[in-house]
Amino acid sequence: MSKPVTIIMIEDDEGHARLIERNIRRSGVNNEIMPFTNGTDAVNYLFGSDGTGLNHKGEALLILLDLNLPDMTGIDILRRVKENKYLKSTPVVVLTTTDDSQEIKRCYELGCNVYITKPVNYESFANAIRQLGLFFSVIQVPPAT
Amino acid sequence: VTPDATRRGAIGQILLLAAGLVVLTVISAGSVYLVNRAREDARWVVRTVESENQISFTQLQLRRAESAQRGFVLTLQPNFQTDFEEAASQLAPALTRLSELTSDNPAQKRVLDQMIPLSHQRIEEFRKTIELARTQRLNDAAQIVREDVGRAAMNHIYDLAGEMRAEEDRLFVLRTTNADRSQTLAASMTGIGSGFVVVLAGISIFLVRRWSRARDEAEALLRDNNLNLEATIDERTADLREANDEIQRFAYIVSHDLRSPLVNIMGFTSELEELRGDIFKRIAALARAETSAPLVPDNATDSAEPVLEGTDKQLSEDFTEALGFIKSSIAKMDRLITAILNLTREGRREFQPVRIETRELIEGIVATVAHQAAEAEAQIRIEPLPNIVSDRLALEQIFSNLIDNALKYLKRGVPGDILIRGRTKLGFAIFDITDNGRGIDPKDHQRIFDLFRRAGTQDKPGQGIGLAHVRALVRRLGGTMSVASELHTGSTFTITLPINWSFSNRNKAS
Repeated sequence: MSKPVTIIMIEDDEGHARLIERNIRRSGVNNEIMPFTNGTDAVNYLFGSDGTGLNHKGEALLILLDLNLPDMTGIDILRRVKENKYLKSTPVVVLTTTDDSQEIKRCYELGCNVYITKPVNYESFANAIRQLGLFFSVIQVPPAT
Repeated sequence: VTPDATRRGAIGQILLLAAGLVVLTVISAGSVYLVNRAREDARWVVRTVESENQISFTQLQLRRAESAQRGFVLTLQPNFQTDFEEAASQLAPALTRLSELTSDNPAQKRVLDQMIPLSHQRIEEFRKTIELARTQRLNDAAQIVREDVGRAAMNHIYDLAGEMRAEEDRLFVLRTTNADRSQTLAASMTGIGSGFVVVLAGISIFLVRRWSRARDEAEALLRDNNLNLEATIDERTADLREANDEIQRFAYIVSHDLRSPLVNIMGFTSELEELRGDIFKRIAALARAETSAPLVPDNATDSAEPVLEGTDKQLSEDFTEALGFIKSSIAKMDRLITAILNLTREGRREFQPVRIETRELIEGIVATVAHQAAEAEAQIRIEPLPNIVSDRLALEQIFSNLIDNALKYLKRGVPGDILIRGRTKLGFAIFDITDNGRGIDPKDHQRIFDLFRRAGTQDKPGQGIGLAHVRALVRRLGGTMSVASELHTGSTFTITLPINWSFSNRNKAS
């Protein structure tokens, strides 16, 4: 792994984005985080102007995905990522307020790697994020300098 | 057709029938009476005719006796004597009969009283003449005949007989007229009566026809109304279902979206908590720096509470208190939102009707609450229960909520007694869950089924969701539920569920 992992955070709620970022940092992960507040911008970035995703070929990415976006549902982004031949190996972490078992099942079926329900309880939320950090270290993300 | 008109019609029918009956009775009685009278009249007519006959017969016998006497006087042949005796012997009974026949009529009787001695006198005279002739005294006999005394008597008798005949003729005319009148009366009576009955029957038929026509019209109207009503109900049901779905979606989205800001509030409150530690640590450090040299180095007290004094300590406590209220409120709001989410999720779940051994299901629930029951010193009794076709999960939730409640709200210090009973009625299974717990004030009976509402002493944890949830489930299963309870005497929750629930009858029922 020559290039450090870039974290793509697709989250429309700026407060949530800030909390996620703080907790990731607090758990010792210093990778670059690219925040997107809507689905369209994120999709444009991920798949490029030609929509093939070729521009990210060989890049190490990690996607934090909220399912409730103002302009599209996160499920669609998840499906497109997992169907794209350049991006399908990218780990996707679904972070959402819904703990509906049907939706969780659907996400795993589509290939999501981790599904985290955003708990209101701050402690467990922080734990979840830290575990995410652990997860980063398991895939041996070298900390950015 | 109004009830008033129906009553009037019924009374009219009864009156008609009564009138018909009266007319028939009158006709029958009148006919019997008139027929009897006619017969009586006819008998009188016959009697008159017979009287006339008898008069003629008497006269004939007299004449016969006279001619026989004359024949004997002329010829002396014994044949004539025999004839005479025969006629004479028939005369007496004829007269007796005649007097019998005319015994009712004093005028006739009077005439007859004159006639009888005359006739007997004549017969005696004849007999004398015959005797004279037989004893060869023909001259004397001829003398008697020649004297013409007998002729006058005979003429008198003839006149009397004529008188009688005239009287009988008069009577005959009178009695015939009477008999005719009686018969005419009887005939006309029957005729008029029959006419009456026919008219009454006609009116009756007319009324019945009018009624049946009115009833047919009413039935047709009713059918139309029913059809319209069904169409209207279908329409409304569809509207309601749509509205209900909308509310479900609305509740889901709202509660879902409410969670989002709540995550921020909770998250940043925790951030504030962390900041609070840093801030007061610095305040403490600054305070110490002002007064004297620090007792402990700054970097060594990272995790320990900073030592604060006076107003600083007060500030810190206020800060902590504010944060505590915020956090507990957030926790409460989170529970409520979760509850709403669960309810709407439950509302969207598709039910699967399956055959359920109700007793088995409830025994399963009782087994899971055995520990709580033992703690509350409560016994749970299950009577025989009807099996039903319904959604298993929903039924489990309904019964476990109610049994939980019964166990939760028992009277302190009184051993609990919870009874589960069941019966069936008209295609519905009715379950009663009765406890001897603290009971519910009647003014709260409606309230307890509302979401987030509770009743009585608030000494047990709970959100006020259970019964709202149970009632929603029961309604979705096409049933109803109610409570009967008074404070301190226990409660009975009654659930009525269709024995055979399926999607189709749910749609029909809702």
